[in-house]
Amino acid sequence: MFNEIMPLADVSENTKVQIVSFSGGYNFVRRLQEMGLVPGQIAKIIRNSKIGPVEVSVMGSNLAIGRGIASKILVKVVYE
Amino acid sequence: MNKKEFTVALAGNANVGKSVIFNQLTGGNQIIGNWPGKTVEKAEGFLEQEGIKLHIVDLPGIYSLSTYSEEEIVSREFIAKEHPDLVVNVVDASNLERNLFFTLQLIELEVPLVIALNQYDILENKGLHINEDKLSKLLDAPVVKTIAVQNKGLKDLFKVIKETLLSEEKKVPHIKYGKEVESRIEILVEKLKNKKIKLSYPYRFAAIKLLENDPLIKKEVNDPEILSTVKKLQEELKEIHGEDAETVIISERYAIASRIAESVITRRYMVKASIGDWFDKIALDKFWGYVFFILITIGIFYTVFKFGSYFSDLLSNWLEAFKPTFMQIPLSPFWDKILWDGVMEGVIAGIGIVLPYIAPFYLLLAFLEDSGYLARIAFLTDNLMHKMGLHGKAFMPLIEGFGCNVPAVLGTRIMERDRDRFLAAILVTLVPCSARTVIILGLVAAFLGPIYAFLIYVLDFILIVIVGRILNKFMKGTPSGLIMEMPRYRKPVMRIILKQTWIRLKEFVYIAFPIIIIANVVIELFALLNWLNPVANFLKPVVTNFIGLPPLAGVTLIFGALRKELTLVMLAGIYHTTNFASIMTPRQIFVYGFVTMIYIPCVATMAALKREFGWKRTTLIVVGELAGAIILGGLFNQILKLFMP
Ligand SMILES: Nc1nc2c(ncn2[C@@H]2O[C@H](COP(=O)(O)OP(=O)(O)O)[C@@H](O)[C@H]2O)c(=O)[nH]1
Ligand SMILES: [Mg+2]
Repeated sequence: MFNEIMPLADVSENTKVQIVSFSGGYNFVRRLQEMGLVPGQIAKIIRNSKIGPVEVSVMGSNLAIGRGIASKILVKVVYE
Repeated sequence: MNKKEFTVALAGNANVGKSVIFNQLTGGNQIIGNWPGKTVEKAEGFLEQEGIKLHIVDLPGIYSLSTYSEEEIVSREFIAKEHPDLVVNVVDASNLERNLFFTLQLIELEVPLVIALNQYDILENKGLHINEDKLSKLLDAPVVKTIAVQNKGLKDLFKVIKETLLSEEKKVPHIKYGKEVESRIEILVEKLKNKKIKLSYPYRFAAIKLLENDPLIKKEVNDPEILSTVKKLQEELKEIHGEDAETVIISERYAIASRIAESVITRRYMVKASIGDWFDKIALDKFWGYVFFILITIGIFYTVFKFGSYFSDLLSNWLEAFKPTFMQIPLSPFWDKILWDGVMEGVIAGIGIVLPYIAPFYLLLAFLEDSGYLARIAFLTDNLMHKMGLHGKAFMPLIEGFGCNVPAVLGTRIMERDRDRFLAAILVTLVPCSARTVIILGLVAAFLGPIYAFLIYVLDFILIVIVGRILNKFMKGTPSGLIMEMPRYRKPVMRIILKQTWIRLKEFVYIAFPIIIIANVVIELFALLNWLNPVANFLKPVVTNFIGLPPLAGVTLIFGALRKELTLVMLAGIYHTTNFASIMTPRQIFVYGFVTMIYIPCVATMAALKREFGWKRTTLIVVGELAGAIILGGLFNQILKLFMP
């Protein structure tokens, strides 16, 4: 199976991903992690229109993540 | 123990129902709404019952005891530093896993704890059930199921709070991380103990937060030897796990939360995708989302206008009809003037011009707030906000500004950085609050037609975007990004909506009415003393020659700085009519409406700005807006001369 690592911002809707890492040691990384986006965690992309923010479902609720930040979250697609 | 007074803090994630519980327990008037960031300051209330007195504190929503935005610092400082006798951790039962992440940190802080398992109705609607006894054992804290909006479970909650306060049992932290982390926590605890570092937190909590790289606690410990140990331990953890120490700890804490949640939740039946998911397909669509948003906005203002103008006519005529009766009371002409033209016309203006618009507006606003739709607008407008150097969350205070700019200025605290806050606050002052809505609807829409009112709103929004973009150029710094939990849609609860509307209306009646009446009497006195014309003449070069308004309109603008709706009320007071078409040309009405919209923040807003940002920056805003309004007013006057008489 092909599991390429890519930014969350590039994943299409209705895809399940696993969080891999974050590019850059930014202040928001802690916040993302505290909201449940920790490496290894599975998240589902609910909405991604490729212009606005990305909506992901993680830990039982949905988060809206701005595009800039979403492009710094690295994930790999999980195939079921 | 014979202590009778206790401090009890309500803490938990955003949108879980803390403020509803606070209001139920204390009879308080906290703003409730289905969007993050409406409680940005702690609120205090009292409950005296069964021989004990509780001092209850409602805190802003918080996701972690490590800090991020200013509203969260309020909560953390209170819980960790002021040592409340008890913390009620309000938890969204339908979202247990995420909520427990915070609960676990409260346990680490070793505060006496009671868990309110709120929104239990929503959990049940999802076909789920929680074994509360088991949860209580696992967390070693009492758990009470509540449905705050239905006032269910709050008696039990009080009982458990009381029992817990009166018991002297001391909890020992029992939740353990993996052994690599745990052994390093122990090393640090020993170090802190040996060096007798004075901290306002338990050593174990401090050790965990040090490993998590918490800047505030690092500063407080301020001991080079310990900090270098921390660094060493963090590197070891990174070596073992391949991730930063803080990531390791956060992950493990989430793993514990998941384990607990899984072991107490049972599914009774499956539920298909909710209506909310379906609705979001429209509301968050990159095209239909905007269409829907615009339709909703127009719908709201149109409804308010229709309702308002109908009742405004009805009430004004009805009240004016008392004049002949009133005039039969034998009084000197002076008192006739003061009592009828001053006091009574003030009352008529308040009831007849202002109230009919403000009441339905507040009602619809409360609906919107409780529905969960506001967060969708934040999502939708994130990109636009980025162009102004902000992000989607800034839309929350901006929307709040439609009700009143004052709480909206405070509401900018949900922004993470000072620059973002100040920028957002400037834009907030340009948002037409309910008072300005009265002017736009009661003057422009009523005498020129709704389409002109719409035009003024559009112009204002364009102005906000332009000002945002310009300020973004001058105020350096890249915007931080949006990270927001999307609240679920909720069927608005009528009782809460009516109460919310009532709270705001009451405030309006208590604060605005006296001001309206006093201002009306003052202007009547000015008229009697022949003082109006000198003032008007003084303002004439700007007001009349440049902006093209009647000279006396300038006087009303001065009063408008007190409260914006006063401009219209004073206009009626000075000219003794509510038929504004008889005193101003259509062009003047339009320009007047636009100028009052932006020319200055009202006194209450200025006070809020001063509190949040200091004198210098407040003065900057006031002067800037005054200048902007004069320039734009003059400009529109010249442009409109081409189309309108
Ligand atoms: N269905 C349901 N809704 C609730 C309950 N408690 C609070 N709410 C709603 O949840 C939203 C957030 O409430 P609020 O008290 O403002 O949350 P806070 O951010 O924790 O202060 C509001 O729309 C409330 O009407 C509950 O027990 N059941
Ligand atoms: Mg609240």
